[in-house]
Amino acid sequence: MTGRPAAVAAFGKVIANELVSSAFHRLDVVLDVPFAFLPGQFVMINEPGPRAWTFSRPFSILAGDGDTVALLYRVVGRGTAALAALGPGSPVSVLGPLGEPFPAPAEGQVTVLLGGGVGLPPVFAWWRRWGQPGDAACFGARHAGEVPWGLLGDTWRVSVDDPAGLAAGHRAASGVVTSLVADDAELPDGPRVVTLACGPWPLLRAAAALARRRGWRCWVSLEEHMGCGYGVCKGCVVRVADGGHERNATCCQDGPVFDAERLPGLVGSDLPTCGDGPTGAKGGCA
Amino acid sequence: MKRPDWWRSDATAPFRLGPRMLPGRVWTASGCFGYGLAAHDFTAADCASPYAGLGAVVTKTVTPLPREGNPMPRLVETPCGALNSIGLENVGFDAFLTTVLPELEARGVPTIVSLAATTPEDFGPMVRRLHDAASGFRHWHGVELNLSCPNVAEGGHDFGSSPATVARCVAAARADLPDRALLAKLTPNTADIAQLAVAARDAGVDAVSAINTVVGLDVDLRTGQPYLPRRFGGYSGAAILPIALAKVDQIVRGTGVPVVGVGGIATVEDALKFFALGAVAVQVGTAQMRDPFAAARVAAALGQWSSS
Repeated sequence: MTGRPAAVAAFGKVIANELVSSAFHRLDVVLDVPFAFLPGQFVMINEPGPRAWTFSRPFSILAGDGDTVALLYRVVGRGTAALAALGPGSPVSVLGPLGEPFPAPAEGQVTVLLGGGVGLPPVFAWWRRWGQPGDAACFGARHAGEVPWGLLGDTWRVSVDDPAGLAAGHRAASGVVTSLVADDAELPDGPRVVTLACGPWPLLRAAAALARRRGWRCWVSLEEHMGCGYGVCKGCVVRVADGGHERNATCCQDGPVFDAERLPGLVGSDLPTCGDGPTGAKGGCA
Repeated sequence: MKRPDWWRSDATAPFRLGPRMLPGRVWTASGCFGYGLAAHDFTAADCASPYAGLGAVVTKTVTPLPREGNPMPRLVETPCGALNSIGLENVGFDAFLTTVLPELEARGVPTIVSLAATTPEDFGPMVRRLHDAASGFRHWHGVELNLSCPNVAEGGHDFGSSPATVARCVAAARADLPDRALLAKLTPNTADIAQLAVAARDAGVDAVSAINTVVGLDVDLRTGQPYLPRRFGGYSGAAILPIALAKVDQIVRGTGVPVVGVGGIATVEDALKFFALGAVAVQVGTAQMRDPFAAARVAAALGQWSSS
């Protein structure tokens, strides 16, 4: 929790709000109060004034240069539908940066980045800030049309559940995103490799299982329903292991990034999935 | 907005509430701003701090022992409000007294401590220990008894819907709170809220806070089941503002008991409606969850009229 930048309650104006694939929108906002962020942090977005939703919506930060912030989202509910309708110049309120970021790289670290669907932003932001040539940046989607090819460029490995419709010049493996690195012999076994993952629960579970098998460290960014985003409402608790016991932690303030080994729920069976609830879910799922 | 002709007060000036001077009349409501510490370093272009001009932060409710609260999901957004079923998750009275309250004092946060218990007699020891440990604190101004959280039922009945139980709770707390303000937060889920207010006043409160959340339920059409595992939740936000105004009016006109108005306040216009009905102060609740500066913005809007 130390070293996080203080949050700003900023007002922004939409610069651009466009589809970057068949499923994902990219929202770019210019801020009245600039702020720096750390990869893995998120913002709470709302419409200012009487049109405000009761709860703001959480979105991981995809990119930002201080004066602007960029988000990625999929339309899955009332909030994101309203968001998709905002044109350039529309006002938005932006509270952020919030939450615990992914750890910065240690000396000699090799990093495996695993982003699934709208879980791409936090790992994308980490890769942009700290990525090295030996790292493995991987993105998984349901089908080729969902992939934001322009954003990922040539360095990202891509997997899709259904490879039908893959355009010429685009390369994607068939299967889940973890399969892109599961048996990659160039990645050493052991804790020098650190996995950073964000996406739906099955992806996080697969990432944690793979990391265990190969002795890698694993950090996951959770998507959870949130009310406030800054730790006051206790509406987004997750169970974490703490010295042989379990306790509640807030996804918004103690997380959203957690050490996978501290999340008993990652190896459980009854897990929520992205966007299955009535409120926002970080990553753009509301 | 412009100052209405009828509004002559300064809501950001100190005012007396029972034995205590409070710094202002705009407060944050319990459960909507944590313990009042999470936003201490937040900034905004148009507001000095989330605490600027606030008369009090009413803390998240504290219980004698720590509580883990209810299972997830705990929140449901509706078009004009929200249902919550947090279940009074809190650190417990011991941790609050030894770590949270001293930090609030050190940061100069004007504080009203919200307390809940499962029996009326449990309030006495908590208030006594507060008084003993914090009697020298300058920024601890009082106690609000949470008698109406609908998520913690006693014998299937809402804890605070019986005037006799309300009176026992208040009497137990008042006995050991001679020099701080004592408030009781009342439930709207009752036929006659004025009766509860009278019981609270006769037992010794300086004001009642009205209202707590309204019992509500929402159904997930994909499953045909309520969204919340415990079925019911506490309904709050913009939708309950007219309900809160009606309850405040019933208390003020029917009994004359001093009222702190709470329920659906997000703007200075909302707050003024409560003051127009005679509320002595107001609390900003659910709006604080989307904007940590919501109450401070209301206070700033009211405060600018004091110098104009």
